[in-house]
Amino acid sequence: MKQLNFFKHNKSFYSVIFLTLAIFMVSCKKDSDKKDPGNIEIEFDNIAVVNGIERQLTLVSPGSTDYGYTNGMSQTFNINLLRYYITNIKLEGPNGEVFTDHVHVSSSGTEGIYLVDEAQPSSGSVILDNVPAGEYNKITFTVGVEENGVTEGAAGGNLDPATCKMFWNWNSGYIALKFEGQSNVSAGGTTGTETLEGVTKGIAYHIGGWKTIDGTAFVYNNKTMSFTFDTKAKVEKGLQPAVHMVFDVIKLFSSKNLIDFTGNNNVHKPVDGKPAAENIPGAFAFDHIHQ
Amino acid sequence: MKRKIALLIGATFIIFSCGKDDVVTKTSPYSLIRPDYFPEITYPLENNPITKEGFELGKKLFNDPRLSLDNSVACSNCHVKGVAFTDPQHNPSVGIFNQIGTRNAPMIANMAFQSEFLWDGGVSHLDFVPVFAIENQKEMGEELHHVVYKLNKIPEYAPLFKAAFPGIDTITSPYMLRAISQYMLLLVSDKSKYDRVQKGEDVFSASELTGKAVFDQKCAACHSGALFTNYEYMNNGLDLVFMDVGRELISALASDLGKFKVPSLRNIMLTAPYMHDGRFKTLDEVLEHYRSE
Repeated sequence: MKQLNFFKHNKSFYSVIFLTLAIFMVSCKKDSDKKDPGNIEIEFDNIAVVNGIERQLTLVSPGSTDYGYTNGMSQTFNINLLRYYITNIKLEGPNGEVFTDHVHVSSSGTEGIYLVDEAQPSSGSVILDNVPAGEYNKITFTVGVEENGVTEGAAGGNLDPATCKMFWNWNSGYIALKFEGQSNVSAGGTTGTETLEGVTKGIAYHIGGWKTIDGTAFVYNNKTMSFTFDTKAKVEKGLQPAVHMVFDVIKLFSSKNLIDFTGNNNVHKPVDGKPAAENIPGAFAFDHIHQ
Repeated sequence: MKRKIALLIGATFIIFSCGKDDVVTKTSPYSLIRPDYFPEITYPLENNPITKEGFELGKKLFNDPRLSLDNSVACSNCHVKGVAFTDPQHNPSVGIFNQIGTRNAPMIANMAFQSEFLWDGGVSHLDFVPVFAIENQKEMGEELHHVVYKLNKIPEYAPLFKAAFPGIDTITSPYMLRAISQYMLLLVSDKSKYDRVQKGEDVFSASELTGKAVFDQKCAACHSGALFTNYEYMNNGLDLVFMDVGRELISALASDLGKFKVPSLRNIMLTAPYMHDGRFKTLDEVLEHYRSE
């Protein structure tokens, strides 16, 4: 009886249900000529072009004298560690499609800040979700963490200073790209995360610098770059195209400036990392798309 | 029907008990009060609201020597509460394995109103100041990830972290650093006679006024405002050859060689020794340096 009364006195209840249904139907109709958003994978693959052939990288233990690579000055070297941050990913298409990856920093984690680590192959795969349906043929991204990575305060996730191995405590901020290895021409004495003090022939390039101080020579070393695809990546619900980007470690030392491993090979501050930082955009390239 | 009612009552209980748990994990806010003659607060408090639980946890961490490699050096070793969080005993301060540091432990006060920290201003957010000291080989010599590992192993910390940051299940570095910041943010120096005069509660004596006149003429260009610093980096003529490059390390600017941050003069009678390397033991020596320059 009570129940009956409830409905009797609540005619507006039915109206609400009806209106809600109506709204749903209208929105369904609107959406019907538009496809639902989907995912897209951006794959960052670290390679070295040796004798014109793209090869996957081989990491060796610190101190190894097994030199598998040659820089632009015919100096041989090997690699212990390669890590870099990718942030601010933006995708664009020929018909006005735009997707800007959301970047958020907090103590519980980070969004839109990716740490690619050669020692962890899965870290090179960035899956962007909720990308508006459409065709995309251009990507823009930044290598390095912008100043808001510092001004937001101590952060978790990929920016956790305890685990990321990319934090400069003396000049607080994040290293954009960290490379360590050995070269036959290095006199040694370098320090790093893996290339420690006793290691002979070490080379360490900790490339960073995110802060602009007016009127000083403070070096901003983050690099933002864009690449156009020769084909289009088609995104919609149910499709997950993969855009394959490559980073050529040889070009990190030669694309714009020739890096000489005999000197300035223990890089730990922004100004020292500037020449190698300027090589970063030239070391990345668009390779192909798996639709 | 009865069963349905029973179920409904059961469900209500569950909902209520959930609510009760939330009440238990609620934090009690603390406020940071800025005297109106102070500079603006620079710390983004909205990202790290200060609570009683966070402050107490930060205080415990600040005083815990387990944050150092050999469990011997807490933040409070070199930032001693009774002397405005400076180090009165050592010159410069002593870190792990009794190593002598290179710079004089600076006062910790009014951190909420500053935007660059340490003598060279290299750290531009308060949260990251402890990382410098923890990872400095001559200070606490630890690695941040290992401090976090140790804290997760110490049973007393888990409930304190959960109370300060409801909802977390493991201790990670951002929570540790934010708790220490909460403690440091509330170390506000605003109860000196200068402050009472600013608030109109007291007046300077005749000799204090004489001192103020000299200070305003000779010192206040750099030691300006309510915090007695213009936040700039200056070379005050201590050396011709620099053992410590100072600000140049950060700015990479040759003209910054040997420059250090202008320190606040609050609590100055308590914060001996003086200068970035603690070379002067008394204020008289400091004044003599400036007098003879």
